[in-house]
Amino acid sequence: MGLLLITRFTLLEAVRRRLFLAVMILSILIIVAFAMLLNLVINASLQGNNGQTSTQILLLSGGVVMTVLTLWMLYLLCSTLTIVFTANMISGEVEAGTFAVIVPKPLRRVEIVLGKWLGYAIIVCLYTALMFFAFLVVLYWQTGYWPPYAPYALGLLELAMLVLLAITTLCSSLVPTIVTGAIALMLFIGAPTASVVRFIVQVVNPAALQSIQNVVTVINLIIPTDALWHGASYYLLPPSADFAVLGLSAQSFDTPFTSSEQIAPALLIWAVLYCIVLPIFAALRFQRRDL
Amino acid sequence: MIATMDRVPAIEVEGLRKVYRSLVAVDNVSFVMHRGEAFGFLGPNGAGKSTVVKILAGLVLPTSGTVRLLGQPLSNLEMRRRIGYLPELPNFHRWLKAKEFLEFHGRLYGMHGVELEKRCREVLALVGLDGREQQKLGTFSKGMMQRIGLAQAILNRPDLVLLDELVSGLDPVGQRDMRDLLRQLKSQGMSIFLNSHQLADVEALCDRVAIINEGRILKVGAPRLLFEGYPVFAVRVNPVTKELLHRLGAIALAVRQDEDDPDMLYVEVQKDEQAADIAEMVHACGARLYGLAPHERSLEQLFLRTIDASRRPIPVEAHQS
Repeated sequence: MGLLLITRFTLLEAVRRRLFLAVMILSILIIVAFAMLLNLVINASLQGNNGQTSTQILLLSGGVVMTVLTLWMLYLLCSTLTIVFTANMISGEVEAGTFAVIVPKPLRRVEIVLGKWLGYAIIVCLYTALMFFAFLVVLYWQTGYWPPYAPYALGLLELAMLVLLAITTLCSSLVPTIVTGAIALMLFIGAPTASVVRFIVQVVNPAALQSIQNVVTVINLIIPTDALWHGASYYLLPPSADFAVLGLSAQSFDTPFTSSEQIAPALLIWAVLYCIVLPIFAALRFQRRDL
Repeated sequence: MIATMDRVPAIEVEGLRKVYRSLVAVDNVSFVMHRGEAFGFLGPNGAGKSTVVKILAGLVLPTSGTVRLLGQPLSNLEMRRRIGYLPELPNFHRWLKAKEFLEFHGRLYGMHGVELEKRCREVLALVGLDGREQQKLGTFSKGMMQRIGLAQAILNRPDLVLLDELVSGLDPVGQRDMRDLLRQLKSQGMSIFLNSHQLADVEALCDRVAIINEGRILKVGAPRLLFEGYPVFAVRVNPVTKELLHRLGAIALAVRQDEDDPDMLYVEVQKDEQAADIAEMVHACGARLYGLAPHERSLEQLFLRTIDASRRPIPVEAHQS
């Protein structure tokens, strides 16, 4: 009961904050601007097509590339917003002194932390899903391409956001807001480094790939967001049978930022556990914290 | 009814100790506050009193010792339904309207529906904020924040309310209103734990007081009895000669000349009967006596003396003698 009251309060607070309004307005502007720019790009591409490729194939293959690139941008946008929006979820209340009248009430501290976590999880997941489908609708409208495994891609994208939320929940219950923000941002930005290094080694010396793979695995265990995005990008691609028709190759999507392979099931399980264990640990730690 | 409640403890603290890293904030504090009682917790800044209140409110965990509120350990959630707490310099979610704020806290107490709405209106009126239901807390003054804070503390009709520096943000009228309100709540049987360095609050409201300094309780008792000392006489006399001061000094424990009024002497003696000796001595020195009356020392003076005495190291000679 207390947990749901805190969740409801967190949702209300999020809606009332100016940040929410600013994000909503800017999000709409981004989607409108994206639709206009995409329209310009497609018109330019079609005009440049001298009839060697059919218009539909050109649109669909362009749609595949644009979908992956656009949703990579969305992944970056949602991740940054998740960190900015949630870095102060516990520490902000402690620093402001607003918890001083909530904690003595007849509810357990675990309920406060998990209630706030649930509130922010709803906001983050809802925003990510809305933006995900908004971009896909625009892409479909302009190119006719709709990723057949879009729900899987969204699922992994949401999981990446929940991983970041788990990090901010844990850090926010232990350290001040600024430290939480710094840790979450550094981990998030640092994670793709492993993918970049792996890509370079793959090009320069494929024989050394196994040794670098171990480092990548460790980094993915510490911060699985990049691996989850790579997994999501795989589900944004068309079925492998369609690659040849569209004039694309799966290998061209093996970049530091995209992947043509599914996420390893073990890593997926690890990410799910990550999202569950970290908030629980945060709640237990907060139970013992002096305010 | 009240007499029965007097014997039931509202707060029981035994051997309470709180250490922050190497700093001992509270050291072996023990006291009992009874139901229906207004209990003052007095001490200078940094004495450890806020730490004790925060422990009582469940915000800070004790290093050792036991605490029971209304007969229950601090972890008991049902007990916490019967507790109200107002922190020092409270800060609330500024985006909330006054009514929303109270409704949220009421729901945390398990209140809802018509009962909650009615109680919100009642407490807003009690703290003098009726008509402010739709005003955002972000637009509230410091004093209004204190008032709405008290409103949330008494929203659940608590058996025990913990108040940390209640009047710190209030103007004199607000302070008087709050004291009147607390008296009213106390007369209704509410137990009030008041942490303060405002002696006037404690004097006006509290049945008993605990003096705390440097993490330790120095004294516990009724305010007047607690600060009871030797009688002091205010003596108006002219002229005040060196001989007079010397002779008074011989029979008195202490003689002090008023800095602003040199004809006024404060003479501390061992017994009330020594008033006659003072009068005789004035005449013997050829001075005229214009007034001789018991001097009631302010609670503040007595409090400061108690705190000073606790800080003053005992000289080796005096200790040996």
